This record gives sequence, C-alpha cells and structure tokens, in this order.
Amino acid sequence: MDIKKVLNEVTKEIEQSSSQQELQNVKVAYLGKKGKITELLKSLKDLSLEEKKSSGSKLNLLRIEVDNLIKNKFNDLKIEEINSKLKNEYLDISFPPPNFIASKAHPISKTFDEVITIFGSMGYSVAEGPDIETDFFNFSALNIPENHPAREMQDTFYIDDKDKEGKPYVLRTHTSPVQIRTLLNQKPPVKIIAPGRTYRCDSDSTHSPMFHQVEGLFINENANMGDLKGTLIEFCKQFFNVQNLKVRFRPSYFPFTEPSAEMDIAYEIVNNKIQLGQGDRWLEILGCGMVNPIVLENCNVDTNTYQGFAFGVGLDRITMLKYGLTDIRSFFSGNLNWIASNGFTIGDF
Amino acid sequence: MKFSYSWLCDHLETDKSANEIGEALTNLGLELESLTDYSEYSKFVVATIKDFRKHPNADRLNICKVDDGTNTYQVICGANNVKKGLKGIFAKDGMYIPGTQINLKKGKIRGEISEGMLLSERELNLSDDHEGIIELLDDFQNGTSAVEALKLNDPIFEIGITPNRGDCLGVRGVARDLSAKGVGKLKPLNFKKINQLEFASPIIWNINNDDNSCEYVVSRYFKNVNNSKSPEWLQKKLISLGLRPINALVDITNYITIDLGRPLHVFDADKIGKKIDMRLANANERILALDNKEYTLDKNTTVIADGDNALAIAGIIGGDYSGCTDDTKNVFLEVALFNPNSVAQTGRTLGINSDARYRFERGLDKNMVIEGLEYASYLINKICGGLVSKNIEAGKLDNFEHKINYNFDYFNKTIGLELDPQKQIKTLKDLKFQINKSNEKECEVLVPSWRNDVKNKIDIVEEIIRIYGYENIKQSVPSASIDEIDKIDNSSTNKKFKSIKKLKKTLISNGISEVITFSFHSIRAQEILKGDKSLKILNAISDDQSYMRNSMIFNHLESAELNFKKGFKNIQLFEIGPIYNSSKSQENILSLLISTEENTNSIYKSEEFNFYSLTELTSILISSLNFDIKQFNISRSTSNTYHPGQSAELFMGKKLIARYGKVHPLILEEFSKLKNCYAIELFFENLPIDSISRANNINIIDSQFQFSEKDFSFLFEKEQNLYEVQRYVKGLDKNLIKNVEFFDLYIAKDLGDDSKSVTFRVTIQSKEKTLEEKDLEQLHKNILEKVSNKFKAKIRS
Repeated sequence: MDIKKVLNEVTKEIEQSSSQQELQNVKVAYLGKKGKITELLKSLKDLSLEEKKSSGSKLNLLRIEVDNLIKNKFNDLKIEEINSKLKNEYLDISFPPPNFIASKAHPISKTFDEVITIFGSMGYSVAEGPDIETDFFNFSALNIPENHPAREMQDTFYIDDKDKEGKPYVLRTHTSPVQIRTLLNQKPPVKIIAPGRTYRCDSDSTHSPMFHQVEGLFINENANMGDLKGTLIEFCKQFFNVQNLKVRFRPSYFPFTEPSAEMDIAYEIVNNKIQLGQGDRWLEILGCGMVNPIVLENCNVDTNTYQGFAFGVGLDRITMLKYGLTDIRSFFSGNLNWIASNGFTIGDF
Repeated sequence: MKFSYSWLCDHLETDKSANEIGEALTNLGLELESLTDYSEYSKFVVATIKDFRKHPNADRLNICKVDDGTNTYQVICGANNVKKGLKGIFAKDGMYIPGTQINLKKGKIRGEISEGMLLSERELNLSDDHEGIIELLDDFQNGTSAVEALKLNDPIFEIGITPNRGDCLGVRGVARDLSAKGVGKLKPLNFKKINQLEFASPIIWNINNDDNSCEYVVSRYFKNVNNSKSPEWLQKKLISLGLRPINALVDITNYITIDLGRPLHVFDADKIGKKIDMRLANANERILALDNKEYTLDKNTTVIADGDNALAIAGIIGGDYSGCTDDTKNVFLEVALFNPNSVAQTGRTLGINSDARYRFERGLDKNMVIEGLEYASYLINKICGGLVSKNIEAGKLDNFEHKINYNFDYFNKTIGLELDPQKQIKTLKDLKFQINKSNEKECEVLVPSWRNDVKNKIDIVEEIIRIYGYENIKQSVPSASIDEIDKIDNSSTNKKFKSIKKLKKTLISNGISEVITFSFHSIRAQEILKGDKSLKILNAISDDQSYMRNSMIFNHLESAELNFKKGFKNIQLFEIGPIYNSSKSQENILSLLISTEENTNSIYKSEEFNFYSLTELTSILISSLNFDIKQFNISRSTSNTYHPGQSAELFMGKKLIARYGKVHPLILEEFSKLKNCYAIELFFENLPIDSISRANNINIIDSQFQFSEKDFSFLFEKEQNLYEVQRYVKGLDKNLIKNVEFFDLYIAKDLGDDSKSVTFRVTIQSKEKTLEEKDLEQLHKNILEKVSNKFKAKIRS
C-alpha cells in the first residue's frame, strides 16, 4: 500500500474541488465510513502487531494531514463564496442621506440650568410660585400700594376674575411675589432662588409680553449689602464666564428693597460685537437691594432679628447678552430654524 | 427729566465738567440716560469760501478755495448753496464726521484733489437738514470753533428719575443732591418778593366738596398784564430742552415746573367766573383740555370749576377755554397741593401723562408752595408788568415735620461697613437733614420737606450710602453652608427641576426640539379647547393673546404650521411649561407635538409614524422618570383634542399621568397645512417627586442559565385591557417569567365583532438552573389555564 500515492491522489482532488459540496464528497470518499483511508485503517486489524505499529502510525498521520487539508480548503472555499456573494451586494455609498436638523434645547433652558447650578453652589434652593397672582402677593405685600407711581413702572396684565379681597388677579409682573410666598411659609433663614415666567403688556424687539426672571432672596441674622455685592459679582463671573469682570453698583429704587441698587457690567464693542467685562460702556444686568423691613413685617418676620437681600435678574436679557442674540421675540416663536441655530445639543446641555 | 448744563449752573456753583456731573448723577441714583455734549466739535472751525469754479468732470460739483484762518484748502463740494464769501463749518483731513460716521480722507474726487469738507447740519448730527452746507449769518472770524459759532456750548443732560425722587423733578432738586455729593455749592434762589400787594383778588376760592383731593390752594390775581413773547433767556431755556415757547405766562409756568419741580396754573381771569370751586365732576362731564383733546370725566375726578363749567382737571391739565393767550389782560394764578392718590387715579383713568400729574402724584415739597407763588409772581410781574393782588387761599397748609430715630449701628449692620457716626451725621447734614439730638449711639433726624420718601431708619441708611458711594461697599465671598446644601438636596422643587432636565435630555436624544411658546391662548383656541372663563385677560395686547392657555397643543400646532411654511416636513417639538386650569390653578406639564408627512424618499425609508410609535415614545419618556407605562391604568381619552379611537389616558389612582394620541381632525381644520399630528401631554407633577428624581437603577435579573421562549395566542373580548393581561401573566411566576412581549393583534370579521386575537411571547429563565422540559411545560400549561379563566379568553392554536 502506497501512502504517498493516496496522499497525492487526495491532495489533487481537494485542490480541484470548486465548491463546498464537491469538497464534502472528497471528504466522504476518503474519511467517510467507507472512505479509502477509513478502509485502510480498518484493514490494519489483519496485520501483525509489528506491521500494525508502523503502518498504523503512518496511516494516522495521513488521516490527520488529509483532515487538515480539507479543513483549510473548506475555509478557503467559504471565503471565496462570501466574497463572490459580496460582489453582488454593492450599494451606492454616495446616495445622500435625507437632510436633518439636530434637535436641541432652548437657550433659556440652558440658562435656567446654569442659574440653578451657580446659585446652588452658593446654597440657594429653588422655590416657585404661580403665574396668575393676587394683587397682595404681586404688589401690596411688596410695598407697592395702589396708585403708587411704582405700579406704572410695570405694565400689568389683569385677569377677568377677582380674588378674595375683590381685586382682579394679575399676571405676575416679576418673580418677587415668590419672596412673599416663601417668607409666609418658612421661617428664616431663607435662601432661595425662584426662576419663572413673568408678564408685562409691552411688545417690541427688547420687550416681550412674556419673559423670564429669576428672583433671589437671602434672609438671616446678618446678610448685608457686602454679601449681596459679592454674591451677584460671583454669579455674573460664572454665568458670563469672565473672571476679570468690571461691574458697577448704582443706587436705584424698588419699593420692596431699601437701599436698592442696579448692577451694570462693563462692555466694549470689538469687531462689531459686544464683549463683556471691560470697557467704558455699561449694560444694566439686574436690580437688587436689602429687603425693605416693611416687606419683612408684611411677612411677619421679626426685623429686629432678621435682615437680608433680594435680587431679580431678567433671564432672557442675560441669555441674549451671553450669546449675542438680538430679538427677544424670536425666543418664543417656535421657529425650529432658530432653535437649531441657537439651541444646545444634548452634549452641551 | 432733561436740563442743560447752564440751567443747572443757575442753581449750582461748580467747576466740574459735564462728564463728571453725569457720573455723579448716576452715582446718586439719578441715572444719566444721555448726555448730549458737543465739546468735541471744537475741532471743526469757521471757514470762508474765497472763490469757486465748476468741477471740469462733474456738473453738480464745485471746486472751492476755503480759508480756515490759517491755511487755504481746495475742497470739492456738491452743495447747491455754494457761493463766494459764504461762511461755513470746515472739517479737515483725518477728522471724524459724526453724522456719516466716517473719517475724512484727503483724496481725488473725479480727478480733482479735495482736502476737506464743508459740513451740513446732518453731518454734525444737529438736525436732519442736508439741503446744503451750513451758512453762518453772523460774522465770525475764520478759525472760530464750531461750538462757539453754532452755540453748542451747553450740554444737555437727560436723567431717569425713580418714583421716590419727586424732589428731583426740578433742576433745583438735582442741584441740591449734587451739592450733597460734593459736586458744587447750592446757590440761593435769586428773586425778589413783591411787596406791594395792593388789592384783594376779585376772584375767590369757594370750595364745596373736593373729596379731600386738595389740601391747600393759594392764588393771586394779576391786573393789566401784557402777555406776549417771553424774553430771549426764557425762550432759549425752553428751546434747549425741545419745548416750544408759547407766550410769557405759559412759558413762566412751564419754566417753574422744570426749574423748581413746582407745577402751577394760570387762568385768563376774564374767561372765568368770580367764585372758583373745586368739586367732583358730574358723570359724563366733558372738558376740552390744553392738549386739544376732549375728555369725558367721571365722578371720581376733581375739577376746578366756576359753577357748572369745568375749567381744569385738578393737578393734571388745564382747560383750553380758560387758558392764557397773547390777548390775556388779567390773570388768576393757582398754586395748589393736590392729593397724590387722586391725581394718580384720575391721570390713569384718563390716560393723561402731563408734567403736572407726573410731579403731583410723586408728592410735592410743602414748603415750596409759597416759594412757588412768590417766584411766579416775581416773574409775571417782571415780564408782563401790571399789578398783583393779595393772596386768596383755601384749605390749610400744614408744616411738613417728620422725625426718625436712628442708631448709627444700623448702617454698619445693613451695609457691612463701619462708618463713623460723625461721618454719617455730616452726610445727613450735607443732604440738609437736621440732626436734633445725638449721642454716640443714636440721633434724631429731621427730614427736609422735599423728601417725603424718607420715612424710616432704613431710608436714612440708604441716604448715607448713596452719598458715601456704593463703590465703597466691600464685597464678601459667597458660600454655602452644610445646612443649605442639605436643604437643596431635600428640596422638592430642586428635585423637580432635576427631573425636568432628565426629561428634556431624553426628548432631545429622541430627535425632538424644545420650544418655548407664550402662556396665552387666542380667542379661537379658547373657544375650541374650552378653557375656564376665569382665564380671560382683561387688557390683552391682541386677540391672539386674550386668554391664559389651558393646553399647549394649539400653540404647538401654530408653531408646527409656521415651521411647515419654512419647509420642514417632519416636525417634532416639545415644551415643558405651565398650563392653567383656572385663575387659581396651574400645573407644569410636558407637551409634545409630532407632525409628519408621507416619506417620499425611496432609498431612505422610514416607517410611517402612527399611534403605536407614539405609545412607544410615551413609554420611553415615562421610563426616563423611573416608571413603566404598563403599571398605569389605561383608558380611552375623552378629550375633544384627540381622535376618540386613537388616544389614551394613563392614570395612577385618580391622578392623570399622561394623555396622548392623534390630534382630532376637527382641530386640524384650523391648520390647513398640517395633516398627520400626534401629541403627548405628560402631567409629571402628578408623579411622586422622590420616585421620578432619583437616579434610574431598575433591577434587571441577569442569569447565566438558558432562557426559553414560548408564544401564546388568545381570543379576548375586544375591549379587554391588555396592560392588565400583561401584568397578570408577569405576576404568575415572578421568579421565572422574565418578559411578556405582545407582538401580534388580529381583528377580523371571522373572529366575530367583539373579539380580538392577541399573541404574546413569554420569556422564561431561572436564576438558579437551566429549566427542564417538564418544568417549562408545567408553566406553559399554567399560563394557558389561568389566562383563559381569568379573562374568559379562548386559547388559539
């Protein structure tokens, strides 16, 4: 028996196989139950012990080699087959995808989030109040009596329904009523911010009948005007991301704070764009002051023990300044082109 | 409030520049809104056209020889008033021209060199006049500065006066505040009292019932006056502020209003009766006022009247008929103290914003009544001549007296700054507050008559820091205490905002953009969506914003239509904000709108969005709030906003958690461009805040053993709630049943009208072992039996 001959024969047949089926037939013909190599192995039993030993090991080596050859060929054929199949699966990779506009968060959402985070790091928790307010919370508790000229500072929307005192409900003109609601509900120390919607009947490129404010209130035994100043400067530095920030506090008037101040930040025009922080022009950013003891007394807070400060910031305004947006009306138009241009993707929000 | 530098200097002796004064005003709380200062125009000078000839290459241009006193320049000029000997204002190479906002450059115009420019008024921002170049009529020397030649040396201040500072609605009040700040010295008022008051006024006050709207009034009668144009100094003052001079008597009252902040009124005495009343108006009484408008008054309006005729609206505006004209011979002057509240109320009701109202409603200096009377008498007498009567008065003029006990520590505690009591006292004295008694700790402060806004000790603190300077307040570094951080961590509102942010992120990552729309509803939206009638806005700006919204869907449909018109085909947007159930109740919800068009792209195909896609999205949103949609009770929505057959509501107990579905075609009728719209309203405030705000860590059993899947088909009653079935099957063996997934629904005639065939796949897996065939079979059998019994369902296949 010539093992070499068998090997040559089978190698040739393996190589000539052009499909997995043909190769399978070769495998059966040699290694199957009645295959040539199997038969040879079976015939060993008729041989002497010595011959068994020498032929047996040779035959076994043959079987292993053939098996390997077949396996490798199988692998080659498989790759070839897949490759030839892939040739029919070519797509037009240059067919352009449909246009799409990234979905984004509104810039005001981003500002809300930053305001809550920055003031949160200073210990302010968030409070809320309703948009439809009573005259008491929006005005009289805040030391703005009826017929006071200060009411004319704010063009108020009135609602066709009256509260318990017989006065028409109003759309809150500022977030300050949350000060009153909080102080009536909670004993000092109180340290809150209250972001939300506010309303005034006014409409042009810088005024919208609806806009957003955040109120701040800090009442304890010794919160003073220096603390107020430090708090607001720190907020502006963080919010506008300007470390070297030139600011100005100047006297102003709000019935609910005394002394009252407005805070301006310096800016200059560089390449036709507003650059905040330095320069000799001023932008009004917010109103603030020490809470008027009259307001604290309206909330049954003992003014011999407690004092503190409050502030109000126009969120649309600081958003416009931070991102260089010019028309407040576009904020509320629902225009998705505007959101796509000025909003924030999930990664930036 | 507007005034010129020179007017201010009538009251203030100062060497400070306009800019320095402007800054001081702002630091005093009298915010400088604008300062029109032409001092930089001194670089422009008077120059004469010596000669000119036509430009060889341009018909309309002339080549002028211009002499500015030092040199002669060649200037190309296109003005039509060019002539030899004309004196104009000249700008040289390199100068900035304010009206055109460009720097002048020497260069050639059509081949001829031009070395400068003769300016028009518009080029100097003085007016809109651009008809020709400025032609000076007076004979100024060449080289004289434009500031001098055009009399621009009087800067104009415009300041914002806060409602508490009525005392600064007169130039004198502003000067007084500036002097306290150390900007200059207040001059005494410069006028002489009239000593010869020789006759009694033939007109008297006879006040019946004015509802206490006038505390005190004093008048004088001026006989035989000569009313014509006022003198130049007075006219110039008014013109400098943009006011039009009328006649001497009217100009004098306007002047005193601005100068002292003291409004007063002059009647033509021959046009009014002899007994002048102040009374409440009759209902529908009419008056033609000096602004040429007719006003209909009501019973709350106080008028000055002679019997039945209303002559003026008290404290607000005079009547046209009784006003002073050039022909006026006899005058009745009225100086009154009207009640700020009544003036404010009347002014607001009638919508009149006069200089008088503005000052009266802020409260006037009581001690200025007699001074105003004397000052006006002096000016009328000096300018118009004639004789002056004795005073005729009504009411009582109380002395203003207000004392405040003030302790010096209060300043330090409020401001966070140690300021020596002596310094505090000095500041108060500079502001003309009197210090009656004082010791080391406290003092008694007497408030000056013009400061009716200073009422309490905190107002004293403000006065001191206002003068001392806000810039001197030392800022401290803010910090958070452990208690405060604890409060933030436990605050339900903080948790809510955290949940809202999570929700927003989920929405954005699902391709939905955030919008913010107005909290309003149009009249139409209110009609269709039937909002509570207590949501009506009384003074709405427009029909589109007449109500508070009880839903956001209408706003979002409007927004979708707007975007459709911009070319968007598939619109997906959301808003998290308030809706209003009534004037007393609002809630924050998420509202989402999806508007789709048929996809015509044959390559990039996507499945059509339908109710089930919407349900899936709802499920994703709810799961971002740590809830499973299937744990809620589901029912069909009865809201008329939605398609009755393709909308659902989810409840937790009685609380509505979500409402979603296809927008009702009748609502879409209002939006012609939109076809296929779906909406979700998620009432997340009805979910327990602690559950929705925590980090999402649901417990998914992870087992290494083999799982098995088995499909079940049942014939259920058509209205059978499948969420119940799902929950029931899952509950049959909590340890082994890992998932129950519904994947087929079949409704057809052959099943009968009231049945549906439903198929679901149950995934079974143990944490402890690979299940044997017999265990599985037992479980399958159990599911079949229990489901068919519980829901009266027929087993299929």
